[in-house]
Amino acid sequence: MSARAAILARLKCPAPIASEAAALLRAPERPAVDVTNLESEFLARLALPSVNASHDVVASLTDLPAAIARYLADQNEPLTLCCPPDPRLDVCDWSAFALHATAAPDETATLAIARTAIAETGSLIFETSPTAPMLPNFLTLHHIVLLPVSAIAAHLEDAPLPGPQPRAHYWITGVSGTTDIEGTYVRGAHGPRFLHVILLRGELPHMAD
Amino acid sequence: MSSFTTRADAALADPILKIAVERTAGTAQAKRAIAIDAFPDFEAARTRAAAIKDHVIAHLGPYLEQFEASAIAAGAQVYWAQTADEACRIVIAICKAAGAKTVARSKSMLGEEIGLPHALEEAGIGRVETDLAEHIIQLADERPSHIIWPAMHKTSEQVSALFKAKHRTPHQEETIAAMAQSARRELRGAMLGADVGISGANFLIADSGAVCTVTNEGNAELSLVPPRVHIVTAGIEKIVPSMPHAIHMLRMLARSATGAALTQYTTFYTGPRRPGDRDGPEEMHIVLVDNGRTKMREEGLAEMLRCIRCGACMNHCVVFRQIGGHAYGGTYPGPMGAVLTPTLDGLAATRDLAHACTLNGMCQQVCPVKIPLPTLLRGWREKSWREGLEPTSMRAGLGLWAWVATRPALYRLGTAIAIRAIRLLGRKGWIARLPLAGGWTQYRDLPKPAAQSFMAQYHQEQRK
Repeated sequence: MSARAAILARLKCPAPIASEAAALLRAPERPAVDVTNLESEFLARLALPSVNASHDVVASLTDLPAAIARYLADQNEPLTLCCPPDPRLDVCDWSAFALHATAAPDETATLAIARTAIAETGSLIFETSPTAPMLPNFLTLHHIVLLPVSAIAAHLEDAPLPGPQPRAHYWITGVSGTTDIEGTYVRGAHGPRFLHVILLRGELPHMAD
Repeated sequence: MSSFTTRADAALADPILKIAVERTAGTAQAKRAIAIDAFPDFEAARTRAAAIKDHVIAHLGPYLEQFEASAIAAGAQVYWAQTADEACRIVIAICKAAGAKTVARSKSMLGEEIGLPHALEEAGIGRVETDLAEHIIQLADERPSHIIWPAMHKTSEQVSALFKAKHRTPHQEETIAAMAQSARRELRGAMLGADVGISGANFLIADSGAVCTVTNEGNAELSLVPPRVHIVTAGIEKIVPSMPHAIHMLRMLARSATGAALTQYTTFYTGPRRPGDRDGPEEMHIVLVDNGRTKMREEGLAEMLRCIRCGACMNHCVVFRQIGGHAYGGTYPGPMGAVLTPTLDGLAATRDLAHACTLNGMCQQVCPVKIPLPTLLRGWREKSWREGLEPTSMRAGLGLWAWVATRPALYRLGTAIAIRAIRLLGRKGWIARLPLAGGWTQYRDLPKPAAQSFMAQYHQEQRK
């Protein structure tokens, strides 16, 4: 008998009834979020010591390079940026920057676009795709994230995409940290030491199919 | 192998261990309390979390088949292993087929449980532990002493000395931040150069075939995205029906483990790299491991399969706080370990773990999935008694006690004499040494008993 058959033989049990599984999700207990004020709720979580992120606001996408330049200057970093191959960013004037698409092992600054964000926890939500690589967001020292204000949702249940899932769906809630030595919190363990969110008041262009 | 008593004695005699355990477990306990206070519905959420897990355990077979079908549809390969050895053989075979020289491993207790680090070593495959704590214990050639903080038993001074001896460019400053940076420098290249990334799973999502990992360091993603092959080893009880079910469990896990609302990085991996993707593994292999879990379900330990490995039970355990994790001798320490280890390693060799418990109930009170740990531990005590594993002195002592206890007059006389005798040993309200119980009083003082037993006082009151 194969291991699969042997395990399943010991687990002979009725198939779950979908309504039973759904009933377990009725009115879930979750931290309160003021749904009429998602932006300030999100920003409040973003500023918590456990999340440890900074933020800025731009009116339109064309203001993005100046906001990134401002942030990097404040951090005494050069205007060098690992930028995802996302055509929506083509409307920006990147002439002041040295841009590249592949992150170096010790990348300084990386830009990413969050699909949505969650006010409950201050999480930024991403998916992998041909225009959205994952690795640069973890190799970089400064993770800079563009987020349309209109995309902020209330609870973690609003994070997943419906239907077939992308290769990786991931939530980033703060900077890389560790408490592995004596329980003492240290930021910048393996991943980014700084997380900077740039809120976009205007709309992002739709992705071409 | 040394006995639990010997290991516990050694742990109690180690003053540095006590400091190290207290620093981390104390912080964890305080942070959890703050997080729970900020989530007023936590008690109701525990009930729901237990119900979700019970539902999955009641329908585990069909859910595993659903997960398997979903994962295969997403392009992953799924394997089943009944035992630890079988699981290791599967992993090694995948590594060899991939021509792997080195693997990057993201912390997984299941990996420790099945002995994967050792199996990789035997197969001549280089292993890089990427979680900071696992990196520390790999350098020290030790085993984890806690399921969330595997290097909890080490002080910062000990970690500093270790890094200075083993890292290529160690820290100069004596700060914990500088030590973490030293590990970052040491590990980054190893992660990017690994042929295979190996992880566990915090949750397996049945309806999508996704595998969820959580970390605060981001080491899972850095270990699993660059290599060409991603291997997951997961216990079969890690299944949840869907993402929203996983979300409820994630709310419980982070608060109970570290006191955060959520871990910094929560990732759901569904199959290998898709056409056009810029990164990600070309192959994804998922090994579903039983290793005693179906047996637990059959033999009255189904509630233990609710466990989401948060570590709250050990952080709040008065015994763990005294002796740390290594004294337990198994992969899993603390109360949850004392319940799991007899299943994994056999009751005959581990019967005394169930006795390393005051039954104060703290573990059950803080468990996010309401596992009745004290009841399960009592179950092991009873089984050990039934199977004749308790030592002769214990059996004789309990037999004598039972004989006297069924003769009330004799029992009252005996306790009256004992109280008088024990009171003679009292100094300033405490008894520091007891004849025939030197082992017990070596680490504890006993309060001086009242002049009369409860029953004697009760009868006196009744006569008034």
